[in-house]
Amino acid sequence: MKKVLLGFALTILTVMSVLAQTKTITGRVTSAEEPDGVPGVSVVLKGTTQGTITDLDGTYALNVPGDATTLVFSFVGYLTKEMPIGTRSVIDVDLAPDVKTLNEVVVVGYGTQERREITGSVASIDATAIENLVAPSFESQLAGRAPGVQVTTPSGILGAAPIIRIRGVNSITSSASPLIVIDGVPVVDSDRSAVNAANPLANINPADIASFEVLKDGSASAIYGSRAANGVILITTKRGMDGKAKVSYSTSMGINEEVSRFDLLTGDEFVEIANEKRTNANAGTLANPGENTDWQDLIFRKGFTQQHNLSIAGGSQATKYFFSVGFTDQESPIKPNELSRYSFRGNVDHSISKAVRIGSSMSYTYTKILGLNNGANSLSGAIYNATRSLPNVAIYDAENTAFDGFNVTANGATTGFGNNLAGPDNNIPNIGFVIQNNTFRSSAHRVIGSAYGEVDIVTGLTARSQIGIDLTMSDDFQSLDPRHGDGRSSNGSVYQSYRPAYRWNWQNTLNYQTVFAEDHSLNVTAGLEYQFSKFYNFTAQGTDLSDNFYRLNNLISGSYNNQFSGGGYAERGFDSYFGRFNYSYKGKYLLSFTVRNDGISDLAPENQRGTFFGGSAGWRVSDEAFFNSDLISDFKLRVSYAEVGNTEIGTFAAYGGYSPVLGGAGAGIGYAAIANNNLQWETSQKFNIGLDLSIGKVTFTADYFKNNINGLILEAPTAPSLGVPGNSINQNVGSMSNSGLELRAFANVINRGKFSWNTDFNITFISNEVTELVSPLTGTYNRTEVGNPIAQLYGYKWAGVNAANGNPMYYSGDDIVQYNLTSGALGYKAYDPANPADVSVTGAAPTQDYLGNTLPKWQGGWSNSFTFGGFDAEIFTRFSGGNYIMNESVRGLMGQGFSNNHASILDRWTESGQVTDVPKLYSGQDQNMWQSSASNSRFVEKGDFVRIQNIVVGYTLPTAVLSSAFNGAITNARFFAQVQNPFTFTSYSGLDPESNQYSGQLSFGVDWNVAPIIRTYTLGLNVGF
Amino acid sequence: MKKITIKNIKLALVAAALVGFSSSCDVTDLTPANLIPDDEAFTTAARIESTVLGVYESAQRGYYGGAVQRGYPFGAANVEQGDLRGEDMYNDQLFYEITYVGSYNPNSANNNGMWISLYRMINRLNIILGNLDEAVSSGVLTTEQGNGYKGELLFLRALAHHELLVHFARPYSDDPNALGVPYRTFGVDDVTKVPEAEAVGRGTVGADYTQLLTDLDQAEGLIAAGGAFRANKGAVIALKSRIKLHMEDWTGVLAEYEKLKAMTYALTPNPVTPFRGGTSSDNIFSFVNSAEANPGVNGALPSMYGNPDLGARGLVKISPVIWTAAFWKETDARRVAMTTKSATGVFTDKYTDATTYTDPNVILRYAEVVLNASEAYARTGKMAEAVVLLNSVRSRALPASEAEYTVSGLGDGILEAIWNERRIEFLAEGRRWPDIHRLSGSGEMEGVPSKASSRSITSIDFYTGAKPIPMDHSIAYSSTTFIWPIPLTELQTNSTAPIEQNPGY
Repeated sequence: MKKVLLGFALTILTVMSVLAQTKTITGRVTSAEEPDGVPGVSVVLKGTTQGTITDLDGTYALNVPGDATTLVFSFVGYLTKEMPIGTRSVIDVDLAPDVKTLNEVVVVGYGTQERREITGSVASIDATAIENLVAPSFESQLAGRAPGVQVTTPSGILGAAPIIRIRGVNSITSSASPLIVIDGVPVVDSDRSAVNAANPLANINPADIASFEVLKDGSASAIYGSRAANGVILITTKRGMDGKAKVSYSTSMGINEEVSRFDLLTGDEFVEIANEKRTNANAGTLANPGENTDWQDLIFRKGFTQQHNLSIAGGSQATKYFFSVGFTDQESPIKPNELSRYSFRGNVDHSISKAVRIGSSMSYTYTKILGLNNGANSLSGAIYNATRSLPNVAIYDAENTAFDGFNVTANGATTGFGNNLAGPDNNIPNIGFVIQNNTFRSSAHRVIGSAYGEVDIVTGLTARSQIGIDLTMSDDFQSLDPRHGDGRSSNGSVYQSYRPAYRWNWQNTLNYQTVFAEDHSLNVTAGLEYQFSKFYNFTAQGTDLSDNFYRLNNLISGSYNNQFSGGGYAERGFDSYFGRFNYSYKGKYLLSFTVRNDGISDLAPENQRGTFFGGSAGWRVSDEAFFNSDLISDFKLRVSYAEVGNTEIGTFAAYGGYSPVLGGAGAGIGYAAIANNNLQWETSQKFNIGLDLSIGKVTFTADYFKNNINGLILEAPTAPSLGVPGNSINQNVGSMSNSGLELRAFANVINRGKFSWNTDFNITFISNEVTELVSPLTGTYNRTEVGNPIAQLYGYKWAGVNAANGNPMYYSGDDIVQYNLTSGALGYKAYDPANPADVSVTGAAPTQDYLGNTLPKWQGGWSNSFTFGGFDAEIFTRFSGGNYIMNESVRGLMGQGFSNNHASILDRWTESGQVTDVPKLYSGQDQNMWQSSASNSRFVEKGDFVRIQNIVVGYTLPTAVLSSAFNGAITNARFFAQVQNPFTFTSYSGLDPESNQYSGQLSFGVDWNVAPIIRTYTLGLNVGF
Repeated sequence: MKKITIKNIKLALVAAALVGFSSSCDVTDLTPANLIPDDEAFTTAARIESTVLGVYESAQRGYYGGAVQRGYPFGAANVEQGDLRGEDMYNDQLFYEITYVGSYNPNSANNNGMWISLYRMINRLNIILGNLDEAVSSGVLTTEQGNGYKGELLFLRALAHHELLVHFARPYSDDPNALGVPYRTFGVDDVTKVPEAEAVGRGTVGADYTQLLTDLDQAEGLIAAGGAFRANKGAVIALKSRIKLHMEDWTGVLAEYEKLKAMTYALTPNPVTPFRGGTSSDNIFSFVNSAEANPGVNGALPSMYGNPDLGARGLVKISPVIWTAAFWKETDARRVAMTTKSATGVFTDKYTDATTYTDPNVILRYAEVVLNASEAYARTGKMAEAVVLLNSVRSRALPASEAEYTVSGLGDGILEAIWNERRIEFLAEGRRWPDIHRLSGSGEMEGVPSKASSRSITSIDFYTGAKPIPMDHSIAYSSTTFIWPIPLTELQTNSTAPIEQNPGY
């Protein structure tokens, strides 16, 4: 097609005509999209600066010398067209859209820009590569697809939000997640559910998404000003195209399974280990041989997953539409976790006249999540429980009908003892009963929509107004069985909560585009934006149920003795005045400048407003006359600097005062926060320098960036004895910087006959350093201190097992101390390497040290896609590393109580001289043996991995086959098979190197009883009608 | 002409819209719906009453592990920690393991929870104390109301600091010059007050006890008598009796006893009565728990201490150590009628509401003041008076067939008998640790005695003598772990004048 067009243009070019005197040429420029006239088209006499621009109705009039031969018509998004003048005085032109350029139009916030004109750092991700994959939400599939975009799925719970970081961690205690903008509407990204992890982005049907743009550097994101510190992800949904309605249906079905399970003791091994713990501690034995049960069988399953999407897209010249319906139901491998989503979208664009356009984007989804208690140390937490339940005890007891045939003690307090003399530690319940009878259900109706109107006021000047809404009606239900498990203590509980989030956003922009003197193109945008968000909830709960019968679906009046209610309300407002100025000289020298003044309700009125600016410049070296290379077809240098802010600092972060508190003595008010009216914006200074280079078939992009975050809004800790609420005061203290290098290379490696191979590789190196803080920030596992990266692991340094006596040893300063595991002589003792058996000298307690950074230092992705005739295949690989993980799951499973253990405990020390890394067993000595109140270097491991993320194989039926078989009713059909997350290469010994209990910034890198992440096998079909 | 008209209409529309935006959209002038600003909190008498109720709330529902849970400091945790540091209640599960076996460190949760929640309570009340005079002088409160609140808050301040002293400082009875705990008498409700607050150091135990008595003496003069569910004059006096006992001020203990005796308090004939509603003549002060506000399933005494056969969790049992002790008579009503049994052990029945956790947390009882006085008499050589008071507690729980104690019968064992009586009478009330603390300081105990090995008492057989009780977990008085470490965060986040850690940690 392109070649045809090119040939056509060349043909016209060769036509020459006879000259005449000065004359006026008039005409109208139209296009298929704008048949009533394309305004703003540059009409220039070839070889001169003489020209004009078409009017609103696409007409123009231009005086030309009599000997003028050719007019050049050009406009963004269209192929430039040259028309011979000849003897004509009326020249009407029909411009053809430049498909290549259109593909490279990049959404940049409040508008679009051509890829070649961009001077900031913007990563575009085409949704076609990921739209058939199975995922609860789209963002998990962005991982590894673009440099500088880190997305981690920390567990296999459907509904748990992935962690998204753009160019590192850019805030310490404010949000570090990017702004998400869907079709121009900044959406609410806070989880509204109180009973489940319910990722709000799971309400968006991934199949509706056409493309993602990630604004990474300051210049690109500066247009979002105060909201841009963590980067911006712009999502554009699919829209109608001119032409016959195109109906598409796609489906896939398959199986979800856990990538790995814990390696636990069998029943028989448990008996030996459990009794040895107690014997060593001079206590009587409790365990007796019985069954060999793997309680993990009870919580894991092969989850069925399916998705169906049907869309219709099309339109006339004036009206274009896209409608879709979608359905997905995904069962997690961990019972009873399941996510189902019903979605609808309607996007319509209409030109009322050539100068007035309106349109809307509307989506509605209903998402239901069935969750579970997977609290890392909750007694009914599925992983915690299943890995600790006694393996020599049966799961079921068919005669125990009072507990539905599960093995439960008669009083309901815990799992049955089997042959043991005691039940499991902490009276943990039978997880099978819990999973079967307790319900955690969250559902949400979500409407995200916008409507816009656009008016071309004069040539090149367009006014646009867009109103967007984002409404989440979140509805929670939790029901706990009175007989056993978490509901037993309150004799059953039913909880329900309605938790809406409501936002409107109003944007008004004026855009002026012009080209003057042929070579100078100008694109100026000015605008204002208002946003208001409201979050509220009310909750009702009943406990002490009259009958288990009533609790299953909803609160039923009168079915409980105790009733409770609660609620909350918060508002946040935001307004902004902004402008952007883009200038380009011959497409060769590019300049962009952005300024924004934002106000936010979370700060005190006197400090509400902040001004943010950004600027960037680009130089397309390859367009210079001196640059003459056959090898390098494109070479552009970019540099940018901007200051941006972070609005996600907490609702009313600057405010203080007294909140309502309900005590036993009555409802009172309690001092809840210290006001800090001086609280200012948290600002990031973002510097970026980059280049785009096309050498032969290979395109390179490289960027170096440095983000300095200043005046971090920190919940600055105060000494607890001051009694300050939360032991912190919000203050602007602290600075941090992220710097790094991003590289991307992609190429069509082979394109020979039927075979084609495309490759796309990216890697990001990043380092983080905290440069200023009021005092170190210490959590259970992590510590953040000036001069280090944020959230380093911090804790005790393991010095091994004393081979002489089996005592665990730790560093105390530079000395090694041992904890003496001898009844009657427990305690820390000095360790003398010359006489290791000597425990006569009292030792100091172990001391803490830094044990490793938790943020990956490098990460990236590599996609290889192949086509051969009708076959296609993609292998997508992801990698990450340079970080350390605290394997708390395994430490917990090395416990010294009466519960199951990790199989590696079989290596425990048993005799003098034995070299091992598991000390002598000793009942009850978890704390001293494993230093369980902080990280422990024995359980700190490297987190490097290479993951084969997806393998997709497809086959597209030949058109000829389809047309003969279906008489043209089916225009295309593709079958595919895919496996997601098939292999991971890592030295990490836990279930998965991305497992992470925490998603905040200060606590990170801790693998602690999270559900294993998911492997998915699916078969699917795409059909077009 | 036509075109110009259209343009004008468009421009007018845009202009109108712009005017509309700027006038209609003030979205940043918002205020929180859930925060009463500082300057409005003390403007009405009702709000001041609310702030005082807020102090009770913080006493009963403090922060533990970053969330309101588990009844720190006085909703339940003072009892649980006080019991499980001693030998008479037995830890059956991981919940109180660290406390029970003494493996706490500067990071462990229980000492952190106690420290953080007590000082949070203290700052809440100090802020109010700093605003009361103004409220009185501006007429928001009457002088009488102002004094009542002041007395109430000073009592709570002393109660909180004494709890800190017994956990984090060495006993007064050993060395009043030992390191105390920070005792602030002003609130921190502004960033600018932080440095002054950080400058308050640990001082000495002696200075802290002096301040305790200063607060309580002042409170006594301000506060009126009243019911047990709010601070009252009797509570002030009873707490003074307790503190003077720790200071070994025997005459002081007796003086406070005399004051209380003159009020309406009395022992209840049935020892369970103080635990059935909390309004008996024996109840001097308790923190109220309600169905809506309580320490929850992971903290409430009826949940933690109750019998699993009765719907409780039963993570803590009565220890076979005291159950099998010879001094606890088989016929004692506190044994017969105030405990329950299951196949796995013996549980206290002082707290019964295992479903909604509404049992009040009993803080001060007249019986304690009586036994304090008994000990003070005994220490000052007034054996007859001592034995009378001891019998008044003991014999009310025993059948007439059990002989009363006599001066001659007890002889030199009188103090031992009083202490044993305290172990029985206050079992499962958290009083064991303060006694171990002060008596170890005075050299009359050697530290924490041996306890039944954690998680080893798996059946009722250990209570009947059928199985020997494995013993462990004693802590010598001289040991570092006899007192708790100061939380690490306290030392790390005080940027100007970090306080001193207890030696050895």
